[in-house]
Amino acid sequence: MIRYEVRLFASLREQAGVETLDIELPEGATVAQLLERLSALRPDLAGGLRRVAVAAGQRIIPRDAPLPPGEEVALLPPVSGG
Amino acid sequence: MDEATRQRFSRQIALPQVGAEGQERLSSARVAVVGLGALGSNCALLLARAGLGLLTLIDRDTVEFHNLPRQTLFTEADAARHLPKAEVAARRLAEVDGRLVLQPRIADLEADNIAPLLTEAEVVVDATDNFETRYLLNDWAVARKVPWVYGGVFATEGLCLAVVPGRTPCLRCLFPTPPTSTDLPSCETAGVWTPTVGLVAALQVSAVLRLLLEQEEPAGLAVVDGWKGRIDRFEVFGPDPGCPACGARHFEYLEEPAPARAVRPCTDGSIRVRPFRTDREGIPSRIDLMELGRRLEGMVDDLVVHPSVVRFDADGCRMTIFPDGRAVVRGTEDPTRARTLYDRYVGS
Repeated sequence: MIRYEVRLFASLREQAGVETLDIELPEGATVAQLLERLSALRPDLAGGLRRVAVAAGQRIIPRDAPLPPGEEVALLPPVSGG
Repeated sequence: MDEATRQRFSRQIALPQVGAEGQERLSSARVAVVGLGALGSNCALLLARAGLGLLTLIDRDTVEFHNLPRQTLFTEADAARHLPKAEVAARRLAEVDGRLVLQPRIADLEADNIAPLLTEAEVVVDATDNFETRYLLNDWAVARKVPWVYGGVFATEGLCLAVVPGRTPCLRCLFPTPPTSTDLPSCETAGVWTPTVGLVAALQVSAVLRLLLEQEEPAGLAVVDGWKGRIDRFEVFGPDPGCPACGARHFEYLEEPAPARAVRPCTDGSIRVRPFRTDREGIPSRIDLMELGRRLEGMVDDLVVHPSVVRFDADGCRMTIFPDGRAVVRGTEDPTRARTLYDRYVGS
């Protein structure tokens, strides 16, 4: 199992009430699996989690990509204010 | 370039990234700013000083007092008179550069007017306040291969992304699923930190100018925190071949709404009403807003009448009417109610 620190941004952080969430996942878990797990832990965030762009290290990665171990994960919701 | 111009822009020309050639290039450049709220005001202010050729300014709204902390184009006098933002912006920016051609457009960007509104633009700045309009803009820009710069602000944070169709991911590559109004806290409830607006706008303007100067645009999404003073850049993968817009080229937001969609709820909490009134060529017939204003006198509250826009409060809703009969209704989530109010006050 690998421990990831997941950093939340903007409206997702506001909804979650925290800046980061810690989560443990098996090695080779994908972005999709991370989001599924987070939605299970925090069902109140499920809607927002469906819409985020996910970055590991400094790269946005697709839903089906495996999470590189040791990199900080960032969840970026679409920001609509202007 | 004449000597006066060379003198005026000397500090910009002195930059190796610009030079006399770059300044010459900017002098014929055509940019459109969609939205003149917080981001739009700040972007327009900076763009108007860069020595551009044409700046199109698009916004449906009138100036309000609660705009003033962020919307750097406007004054208390504008708010007191409820003037249309596009017209105020054009007047004010004309004072900055007499050679800049300014095109104010009091309009809501929609599928059936986006083409004429943006037809001249080489680069479009997104300064809108809802994702539906951004997806529309993205569809149009990808279909027409016009670069555009996405910007968004939430509380103390912001995002900026330059989209160059065919070269970079588009907005839907990054955010394929639009937010719904229920999972979005709004600027009213979450608040907006003014310095963040400045940061995002500066990044957007820099991206626009770099695109015009044909300088290499660093790929990626900029994420800013104006409270902490932090700017992060994330590399983006793509374009995504599975993207509905730039992959499949299915431009659903550009499709003409069927008559059944004449009343449409938007993700910014408003409802748009589109009249059925068209002539044989399908062109919506215009209504005389001054006449409408006279009719509404005494019937409604807080009435503002202008040849380009009429705004009033009635039955708990705020209604904004345009010369082509389109309306924006705020204060109800029920499309039927919005249509009823429209028929009651604007007529059929």
